[in-house]
Amino acid sequence: MLNAIKAAGLAATGIAALAVGAAQAQDYPSSPIEVIHEYGPGGGTDRFIRAIGEPFETITGAALVPISIQGGGGIPAYANFQQRPADGYTLLAISPDQVINHALGRIDMGELMPLARVQYDQGLFLVPADSPFETIEELIEAAKADPGSLKVGITGSAGFDDTVIGLWNLETGAELTSVPFGSAEMVSNTLGGQVDLMHEEYGPARGLIESGDLRPLVVFSEERLPVLPDVPTAVELGFDVTLGRWRALAMHDTADPAQAAVLFDAIAEAAQTESYKKFEEDSALQYRSVVLGPEEFQAFIDKEIAVYTDVLEQLGYVQ
Amino acid sequence: MLEAYVDALAYMAGNPITFVLIAASVVWGIAFGAVPGLTGIVGVALLIPFTFLFDPTEGLLLLAGVYVGSTFGGSISAILFNTPGSPEAACTALDGYPMAKRGEAGKALGIALASSAIGGVFGTIVLMLLAPPMAQLALQFGPAEYFALAVLGITAIASIGSGSILKGLVAGLLGLAVATVGLDPITGMPRYTFGSSELLTGIGFVPAIIGVFALAEVLQRVSESDRSADAITNVSTKLPSLAEFMATRYTLLRSSALGSFIGALPGVGATTAAFISYSEAVRWSRRPERFGTGEPEGIAAPESANNAAVGGSMIPLLALGIPGSATTAVMLGGLTIHGIVPGPLLMQQNPILVFSVFIGMMLANLLMLVIGIRAARYFALVLRAPYALVGPAIVVMCMTGVYAINSNVADIAIMLAFGVVGFGLRRLGYPIACFIIGLVLGPIAEVSLRQGLILSDRDFVEILTRPIAGTLLLLSVLSLLYGIYGQYRRKNGGQGLGSANPAPPAAKVRAGGEGT
Repeated sequence: MLNAIKAAGLAATGIAALAVGAAQAQDYPSSPIEVIHEYGPGGGTDRFIRAIGEPFETITGAALVPISIQGGGGIPAYANFQQRPADGYTLLAISPDQVINHALGRIDMGELMPLARVQYDQGLFLVPADSPFETIEELIEAAKADPGSLKVGITGSAGFDDTVIGLWNLETGAELTSVPFGSAEMVSNTLGGQVDLMHEEYGPARGLIESGDLRPLVVFSEERLPVLPDVPTAVELGFDVTLGRWRALAMHDTADPAQAAVLFDAIAEAAQTESYKKFEEDSALQYRSVVLGPEEFQAFIDKEIAVYTDVLEQLGYVQ
Repeated sequence: MLEAYVDALAYMAGNPITFVLIAASVVWGIAFGAVPGLTGIVGVALLIPFTFLFDPTEGLLLLAGVYVGSTFGGSISAILFNTPGSPEAACTALDGYPMAKRGEAGKALGIALASSAIGGVFGTIVLMLLAPPMAQLALQFGPAEYFALAVLGITAIASIGSGSILKGLVAGLLGLAVATVGLDPITGMPRYTFGSSELLTGIGFVPAIIGVFALAEVLQRVSESDRSADAITNVSTKLPSLAEFMATRYTLLRSSALGSFIGALPGVGATTAAFISYSEAVRWSRRPERFGTGEPEGIAAPESANNAAVGGSMIPLLALGIPGSATTAVMLGGLTIHGIVPGPLLMQQNPILVFSVFIGMMLANLLMLVIGIRAARYFALVLRAPYALVGPAIVVMCMTGVYAINSNVADIAIMLAFGVVGFGLRRLGYPIACFIIGLVLGPIAEVSLRQGLILSDRDFVEILTRPIAGTLLLLSVLSLLYGIYGQYRRKNGGQGLGSANPAPPAAKVRAGGEGT
């Protein structure tokens, strides 16, 4: 009996909430929406929020404001997001780093409502112009001859880059030793020859690839990049390494689905605008970046969690 | 080259808005620099959306002007309130505030302003003439060299302080220890966080210095029974006379050169430049015991270095597309959104953009002289209010500012805790300078040493035998020995036997200024 009353009460509240939600969704969003992220201002995620935010503001009248809460492996940014009300005016920018934190038991992705995956980047191995390695085969051969002797510059520690290198080592047996840097130092140490190669996406490295200072050897994607037609994919070489950094937005799991629908429509529309398309092309982001809506995105995340957990287990990070 | 300058000038003359933007951005920058917690990075990041209203060149000029202004702005509050408005001004407070307390606030501000302008112009000239070779030189600096450079800076703590070597070392080591809290930079494992997720980000440098300087100062003032401590009265900013200027010429030259180069190193910016230059100024001085008591060179060194580092950190940005500092990283992001591809080809593909920035930065540094005098005067008006009002206002401002940087409440707690730490250190006579040098340079030394060891397969000898790193490390050892010897000699020499607080230098004590 008590349970029935409770259930009825809950149902009534739910209906009321939906009704209120629908009414609110009419004039939602009416003020700027803050997007919390764990990376530095000016980085790839910050640029993503600004680039999609510009057409988003034109469409909805509300700005997307990136809030950078750096450090602590993304935990402080996540904690800050959790402390804010689920009123639709705070979003969290998510990426494989959240999946990794989930696999390591540091956060629970179940507390998030996936909203839209907008970008799906692809990483490259890049060597400096004076590197002895002209092709990826030469590099693999050298790495196999003396495992661990080749050093690869990565950004961040125990995060996405580390996992990619770990998977590469498992798949190829051409073991590389990763050296974590800040993104600027990673590039300068590669150009200066302190490390043998680096792992980076096309966008940030584009200027140095075009000038010939960096030579791309392999791309981690299903297909070759049309801008780099001569650079083979790892898959072609027989190694299943396609992990790429994706950039996406999430809400609180208790957020109003009506608001989520409004936001997703606006983001999907913003992603089709000319200004955003131009930005995407400049960074070679257009090849895998299909905008995924809440349901497809949830399925994608579930798949990613399985993949990353498996890799991290093999690497010994997860028992 | 000349042609490129002519084109850039023609572009700027054809777009008079550029001059308006430069002037406005310098004012904006000085304000952001001067308000504690609102750093140049915040100032630049906030303006990024506004750059969409302009073309990329105008946008970059706007951001560069803010960068120039904010780097000077921090010194105003550092000198007047012992509250470094931005991290790069932390060193300026060490000597600027004691000087202001002596009744020479105007002179201290003048030295800071003149040194900033000289350093800024120096850095811009280096940027204009030497960008590509300097960028190549910076690339030769790997982790081993960063490590050696940081160690060289840290060893200066042996020369700082007056009397007790032990207290200097304790304070320095305390700074190094505090810097290890947070996630391990290489393995990502938590260290000394005691299970607290708030401590995962570590002890932020900005909250810590604002606590150690600003809050500790407020506590100090409140604890003083002597109410006549309101000595900071003479604040009409006076640029140094030619004689005073010439007396610091070597420091200015050395600091500007160091600042330009350290600025050009990716990942380290104006703050590190200011600290290393301060260390070097102490080391090269014939009277190192006076640092921390209001020595003009103690202002000239960090201020010329941090402004020179502004030009320096534009070098890798414009020559290679790699940001030389956190602020230039934000600029890089801004450029990318504008569809500009930063990289080695930028100078050829967008000469007008690059050369306009050269000219704009030069103008911004000169404008800073004019605007800086005014700005300092307005800020100084605050000093007319009774300290019972100013003190709490400073505390509130620091709390808001510290929160604004990273939207992290834990930073406020850290700021408050370090206020107590700073107060305690001062009461017990431990030199604050040593503490913050450890705090700032410690992480650079740690991370780069560990990166260097991964690269050398854990072989220390390989690091020691690298020519630049080895030389710097050898110099560190020598300077450590020399510093300890100097302290020993001073202690057993004539003046201030065993005293932790020797009399301040024979400066003119103005009427109304406090004696000691």
